This record gives sequence, structure tokens and C-alpha cells, in this order.
Amino acid sequence: MMAPDDDLDLLAAEYALGVLDLAERRETEARRRNEPALDAAITRWERRLAPLAEALPPVAPPENLWPRIESALPAPPIVVDLVDVLRQRARRWKAAALVGGALAAGLALALGLSEMGRLGQPQNFVAVLQQDANSPAFVVSVDLASRELTVRPIDAVAPSGKSYELWMINDSLGRPRSLGVIEKADFTQNDRLRAYPPEIVKTSLYAITVEPAGGSPTGKPTSAPVFAGKLIQARP
Amino acid sequence: MICGRTLFDAEAAMDGSEDLKAFLAGAARGDRAAFASLYRATSPKLYGAVLRILNDRALATDILQEVYVKIWSHAARFDPARASPLAWMNAIARNRALDEVRKRRTVSVDADSEDRHLAAPDIDPLGGRARNEELRRLLSCLDGLDPERRRIVVQAYCHGLSRDELAARFSHPVATIKTWLRRSLLQLRECLGE
Repeated sequence: MMAPDDDLDLLAAEYALGVLDLAERRETEARRRNEPALDAAITRWERRLAPLAEALPPVAPPENLWPRIESALPAPPIVVDLVDVLRQRARRWKAAALVGGALAAGLALALGLSEMGRLGQPQNFVAVLQQDANSPAFVVSVDLASRELTVRPIDAVAPSGKSYELWMINDSLGRPRSLGVIEKADFTQNDRLRAYPPEIVKTSLYAITVEPAGGSPTGKPTSAPVFAGKLIQARP
Repeated sequence: MICGRTLFDAEAAMDGSEDLKAFLAGAARGDRAAFASLYRATSPKLYGAVLRILNDRALATDILQEVYVKIWSHAARFDPARASPLAWMNAIARNRALDEVRKRRTVSVDADSEDRHLAAPDIDPLGGRARNEELRRLLSCLDGLDPERRRIVVQAYCHGLSRDELAARFSHPVATIKTWLRRSLLQLRECLGE
């Protein structure tokens, strides 16, 4: 008996089984990014078939593969290190009551970026979102090659019952574009920047607003930004 | 034997899911030691899966490198509510290998694999010996398919064969293969009852 959604589920099954040709695979992957139902169906089929994969015989990879992988690992530590540095600095500023703006944002960035420069890769960009020089709140980093966006909170907790939401603001886009709600986790990652060309990604202003829990219900910011910043390339 | 392996071995390999979750969580925090443990625990499994599809050790090694770099970068996205760690990593590995093999398309379909243990599989479910419930259920459902259709499904999965390649290997028109695959998948879904 064919249910109405059988076409979608069968496509998911054929994708997970691995019998689609290249064009069909590309099309399915493109749809998958926009259709949660298809994505869920593929995941279900991958899970259904996974016991078969686990029953297949293992084959030891070449000994020299691990060193190759290890040296190829991009560094999420980039972000971790920068965030750690800024957190330490935020604590120190508070402790020393240096609230007069003596430490410019540029200095915070220079310190953060020199830390990152040791590990950085040319396609990595970073922005420190802040209210003023002494209150860095979030670090946004972008791998321009994959357009992967990572947001890490430094010293910010959303008011109770509210969510922080990240926006990209660029004249050529018209209205601000949501890059997602900041999760209450150590970091938030997504690939929403894939929808935008690199030039837009590099030149936009990144801003955080306080929204109702779960994010703006309208798709537009409902309040003024509380933190903002622009991307800077992290040069090795 | 499934693709050359007994179920008894398979079960032993399925333990340690909790360890893998912990390693993945470590990798998500940038812990390279945890990621090294993850690699040691899973790379023979993923290498086998990728090699079986690509049938070329040097290429499979390059692809597996990309796969692990992706696992490292995406570790934070792993959601234990949606998939087991191995199922999640296996999907990343299979999808990368399938993209590669579809792009190349000169990989011979009917030549023997370079390794005997990668050779064309058949299924002998040995149902009574499978203690792992998920595997036993899947095998028992596969066992309910017509034998030739079961071989088509299993070979498609193990070797990443397209419908065209299955048609050539099993000497049936592509349209027949497509219909059989879809019916087999529906039958599997019904049998698995999910």
C-alpha cells in the first residue's frame, strides 16, 4: 500500500542504500537541507540499515593515516583559545575596575588575534561582538571555505525567558538576515552562511538582539542589537 | 556471512557505543586525545566501508582522511537522540565515498575486489546466533526478501552500486532493478515496523 509520503520515504531509502546516481544524489542533498521531513527520513533509513554496516568486516587503514589526519585537523581550538583569552581579559578588567575604556576593542582583538594567528588558517574569519571595548560578549568565527559559522559566548547570558539571536546586516541584503538563535551551550554551530556569497559574509555586520524565547517570531529583529562586530581575517 | 564476516564478530564490534559518545563529545570540545581514541575505535570499520565502495586503497585512504576531518569539525552536531555514533560516522563515510565513486564512474563494476575479504557478499543470517537485536531484526527482514532481490539490496549497500551497475551485474533491465529495489525497501520498512 503506497502512502502519500512514500515517494519521499523511498527517495530517502534509495539515498541511504546508496543506489542514486550523482545528479540524483546532489538533488537529494540540496532538498535535504530545506526539507526537515526528508532529512528525518534519510536519518531513519540510515539507522535502519546501519546494523548491516556494523556487521561488515573491518579493514585496518594504513599506519600513516592517523598522522596525516592529525596534521590536517582544522582547529576548533582557534575559537576556544580566543574565547579563553577574552574571558580571562574580561575577568581581569572587572577585577581591576578598568571600566574607562582604556583598553580599546582593537587591543582586545589584537591580543585575541595574535593568539589565534599561531593556529589560524587563511580562510578563517573572526568577529568579537561587544557593546563597548570592555564587554566582549560573543566570538563569531567563520570558515569561509565551508561557510561554517561558530558562535561562542564569552560573558553573556540571555535574560530569563529570552533568547539571543544572531543577525547578519548588510546594505545589499536589505533587511537583517537571521543566522539563528544562540543556543544555551558552550557553542552554536550552523551552516546558514552557505546561502550567502563570500563577499557578503566578509563585509556584513554581525549583531545580536534579545528576542522572545526560541527567536524572533517574525523573522525580523524585534529589538535593537545589544552586541555587534565585524569579521576580521585571521592571518597566520 | 555478510560481506565476509560472521555475526559473532559483528556483535563484538557493536559494543562500546557509550565510549564512542564520550569520544565524540570530547572531539566537539577540541580534545585531540579523545579524537585519537575515536579514530582507533572506528577507523577499521569506516575504512572497510569506504574501501568496499571505492575498491582502491590509496583513494580510500585519502577519502577516509577527509571523512575524519569532517567528523572532527562536525562532532558538535552529533545528536545521540537521532543516531548511534557509529551510524552517524558511517553515514558521513558512505556518503563521501558514494559521491567519489559516482564522480569517477570508471571503477570497474564486475572486476573482483583486490582483497578476497571484500569480495561479493551473500547473506546467511544465522539468526539464532545474533544476540544483537537490531542486527537480528534487519537480517530476519532481509531474509524475507526473494533471494536474488536480497542479494541486490545487500550488494547495493556493501559496494555502493548504482542501479545501472546493479542492472549490469544481475543482468536485468534498470527499470526492473529500480522497481525491485523500491519494493524491497518498502517490504523492509514494513517488516522492521518503524
